[in-house]
Amino acid sequence: MSHQMGRVVSAILERHFGEIVQKVGDDLFSYGSRPISMIVRNTGLPRNQVIDSLRTLLKFDLATFEPYNDVIVDYKLLPDNVLLLIRYPRYLLQMKSKYGSEAELLVEELLQQATCTATTLLFNIATKFKDDKEKSITILGLKDMFISLVTAGYIQQAPVAELKEGSEIPTLVPVATIVPDLDSRALVQAMNNGHINDIKDNIYWRVNYDRFHLDFRDEIMIKAITRRIDENAGELMRFLLEKMYLTSAPWAPESSPLCAVELRERCRSAATDKPLLHQFVDQYLKVLEENGGGFVRRVGDAGSGQFTVRSRHAALQLVLCALEHCVTERLGSKAARIFRLIYTKKYIEEDDIQKNAMLVNKECKQLTYKLMEEHFISVQPMRKPASAGGMAKAIYLYHVKLHSVAYTGLEMCYRSLHNVLRRAAHERSAHARLVDKQRRVRTIVHGMRLRGETQRNIDDVEETLTPPELAVLQGVEKRLKQLSTAELELDRNLFIFKWYFMYPYVE
Amino acid sequence: MSVKIEDQLKEKILNVAKKNPKGISHKDITAAIPEVSSAELVPVINELLQQEYFDLFNQNGVLVYKLKAQTSKQAVKGADNEEKVVYNLIEEAGNKGIWIRDIRVRSNLANTQLTKVLKNLESKKVIKAVKCVNASKKKVYMLYNLEPDRSISGGAWYQDQDFESEFVDILNVQCHRFLSQRADKIKNNPRGPIVGRTQSYATANEVQKYITDLGISKVELDVEDVITILNTLVYDGKAESSVYPDGSKVYRAIDPLIPAPGLVQVPCGVCPLIHSCDSTGLVTPQTCVYMKEWLE
Ligand code: SF4
Repeated sequence: MSHQMGRVVSAILERHFGEIVQKVGDDLFSYGSRPISMIVRNTGLPRNQVIDSLRTLLKFDLATFEPYNDVIVDYKLLPDNVLLLIRYPRYLLQMKSKYGSEAELLVEELLQQATCTATTLLFNIATKFKDDKEKSITILGLKDMFISLVTAGYIQQAPVAELKEGSEIPTLVPVATIVPDLDSRALVQAMNNGHINDIKDNIYWRVNYDRFHLDFRDEIMIKAITRRIDENAGELMRFLLEKMYLTSAPWAPESSPLCAVELRERCRSAATDKPLLHQFVDQYLKVLEENGGGFVRRVGDAGSGQFTVRSRHAALQLVLCALEHCVTERLGSKAARIFRLIYTKKYIEEDDIQKNAMLVNKECKQLTYKLMEEHFISVQPMRKPASAGGMAKAIYLYHVKLHSVAYTGLEMCYRSLHNVLRRAAHERSAHARLVDKQRRVRTIVHGMRLRGETQRNIDDVEETLTPPELAVLQGVEKRLKQLSTAELELDRNLFIFKWYFMYPYVE
Repeated sequence: MSVKIEDQLKEKILNVAKKNPKGISHKDITAAIPEVSSAELVPVINELLQQEYFDLFNQNGVLVYKLKAQTSKQAVKGADNEEKVVYNLIEEAGNKGIWIRDIRVRSNLANTQLTKVLKNLESKKVIKAVKCVNASKKKVYMLYNLEPDRSISGGAWYQDQDFESEFVDILNVQCHRFLSQRADKIKNNPRGPIVGRTQSYATANEVQKYITDLGISKVELDVEDVITILNTLVYDGKAESSVYPDGSKVYRAIDPLIPAPGLVQVPCGVCPLIHSCDSTGLVTPQTCVYMKEWLE
C-alpha cells in the first residue's frame, strides 16, 4: 500500500464522511492495525468521535477489526474498499442498463444503508415512491427484482457477528447466500399498515461488489474484441465468458477448457440476431484465437476444439495498452514506438533500437533516456568477456519490466485521482458561500411554489441571485461535472491495473 | 594504323562486350562494327587479350570473348608495388570497404606513405572513400565503381549518411493509409471472417507496389525496405503482422484494444510535474494552471 494510495483514500473519506473520519482513516492507514486508545492518542480526537468514526467505517465495510487479546481489539482500514466509493455511480448505471430503474433503486438504497434487511429495504423504497404515479413502483415488483438480483449474485447476505465462547469480541462470519422467500401478502399488508413491525426478518443483505466487477471485466474484454475484430467476435467472446462461469472460478487466470460444440449450440440460438456468427462459428473461433490479443487460446482438439479464456493474459494486454497510451501522450508517438519495440524484443541493444525504430540516432537516444527517466524501461549492463582487441566493452540491454511499469502507472493513477478530488474539494470550498445561497433560494422557491404564491413574488426571490453570481455558479457546476467525469474515467483505468495486479507476478 | 584509331577500336569492342555480358563471338564484333575489316580487328583483340580484358572460351566450337569481371591490371598499370598491395587489400574488402587502420596493419606501410598511396589511387578514381553511417568519423575505402553495402551506406534511408527521418515518416503514413483502406474488410464480412481477414491483410509486395506507384520515393525501395517500414507500424501499435503458409509476411491495420484511458484524459497523466506535485508546496492541484486551463 503506497503513500499515493493513502492520499487518495484520505481525500475520498473526507468527501464522503467529513474531516473526523478522514483523520481516523489516515491514522489507520499509516499505522496498519491499531486499538482505539492509540487512535485517540495519535489523532487527539475525543474518544467518542473516534468510536463514531470507526462505527461508520465498519458499517460500510471500510474497516475491519480483529482481537488483539481478549479485551482489546485492533482496527484496520480496508483501503481498497474505500476506493470503491467512487465507483458507486458505475454500479448504479450498470444496474439501470441491465435490469432497469427498479434494480437501480434497490442497489442505491442498499449502498446507502450498507446493510439492511430485505423487508426494510423494500418497504422504504416502496414508501418513498408511493405517491409517484409516473414510475409505478410497487412493493411486489421490487420484491421480484430483489430476488432476481440475489439470484444473479449482485446482492448477497451480509456476514453475521458471532460470539465465540469465552470471548467478548464478536467475529464476522460470512454466510452462504440463500435466495430468500419473501411473503408477498405480508409485504402488501405492511404497505397498507404503514409499518413493518409485524414482519420478522433478521437476515441482512449487502451489495456484492465482486459480481459487478466481473461484469466490468467481461465488458472490457468484449469491447476490446469488438474493436479488434467485429461485433460477432465480441458476441462470441461473451458466450465464451458465459460458459466459463459454469466451469471455472470467475477470476481464474485461465479457465478450464470449453468445448466448441457447446459454443456452436449457443450461437445457433442467437442465429437470428447474429446470422454471420452462426454461419461461421468455427472461423470466428479461429480468428478470435489468432487475432484477438490472445484472450482466447486453443488447448485441444477433443470435441472439435477446446478453448480457454485467459483472463490474466487479457489483463496484461490491457495494462500494456493503457501504458502505451500513457507513453504516447507523455513522450510522443516515437517514444511509444521505442517502448513497444523494447517490449516485443524483450532485451535489445541501443543500436538495434535505432535500426528497428527507424529514428534519427540522436532523437532515438534522447527518447530512450526519457523513457528510462520516467521508469517506463530499464537497462541491464552485460559484461562482454574481453575481446581479442583488448577492448572490453559493456553492452547495455534495454527491457520493459512490465510489472514495475504497471506499478508506476498505478501510482500515476492514484496521484491523478487524488489531484482531481483535491481540485474538486477546492472548487467546492472556494464557492461554498455562493452554492449555499443558491440552495437556500431553491428551497424557498420550491416552498413558495407549493404554497401557490404569485410568479412575481417568486421572481423577486430568484433575483436575489445576481447575474454575475449565476454565471459563477454555472462555471462551478460545469467544472465539478468535468472533474467527476474524470474521476470515473480514472477509476476505470484503476480497475484495469487492479485486475492485472490480482494475479501473482510471474516472470 | 595509328595508335589513336587503335584505341578507339578497343573502346568500341569493349562497349560491345559490355552490352553482352554473356560473351561475344568474332561474328558479333564484326556485326557490331561493320566498318572495320577483320584483319584490322585481330591485332586489337589480341592486344586486349594480352592486357587481360577478356577471357577466351570455347562455346560449341565458336570462340567467345567474355569481359573479365574486374580488371585490376588496368587500374594499377604502371603502379608501384605499394600501390598494388594497397589496391589488393581494398579490392579484397569488396563493397563493405576497409578501414585505413586495417590497411596499415596489414600492408605494413608507414602512415605517411599509406596516405600518399591512397591519395594517389583516389585521384586516379580507382578507389573511393566512403563515410560509414553508424560511425560518422569512420571512413572506409573501396573500389571506385562499387556500390557501398547497406551496412555502410545505410541503404535507402540515408542521404550522404544523414538519416532521412521525414522520408521514413511519410512512408510510415502512406503504408498505414494503404492498410487502413482494407482494414474494415474483416468486419461482418458476408463471406466469413477468414476471407475477411485475408482481404484485410496486405502482403509486403502489395505495399511495395503501392508505394512505388505513388512515386514518392526517389530511390528504388525493395520489399525488404518496405518491410522495415511496415514493422515500424507494428511498433507503433497501428498494425499487426502475420505470416502466410508460403512464408510471405502480411500486415493488417489495427486499433488499440482500448481507447485513451482515464489517465491520459486528465492533465495530470501528461503533466511533466506529476512527481513533484503535492498537497502543499509550490505545485499543488488547487493552484495548478494545467488544471485551470483544462477546466475552462
Ligand atoms: S495537478 Fe497540475 S501540476 Fe499537479 S500533476 Fe496534475 S496537472 Fe500536474
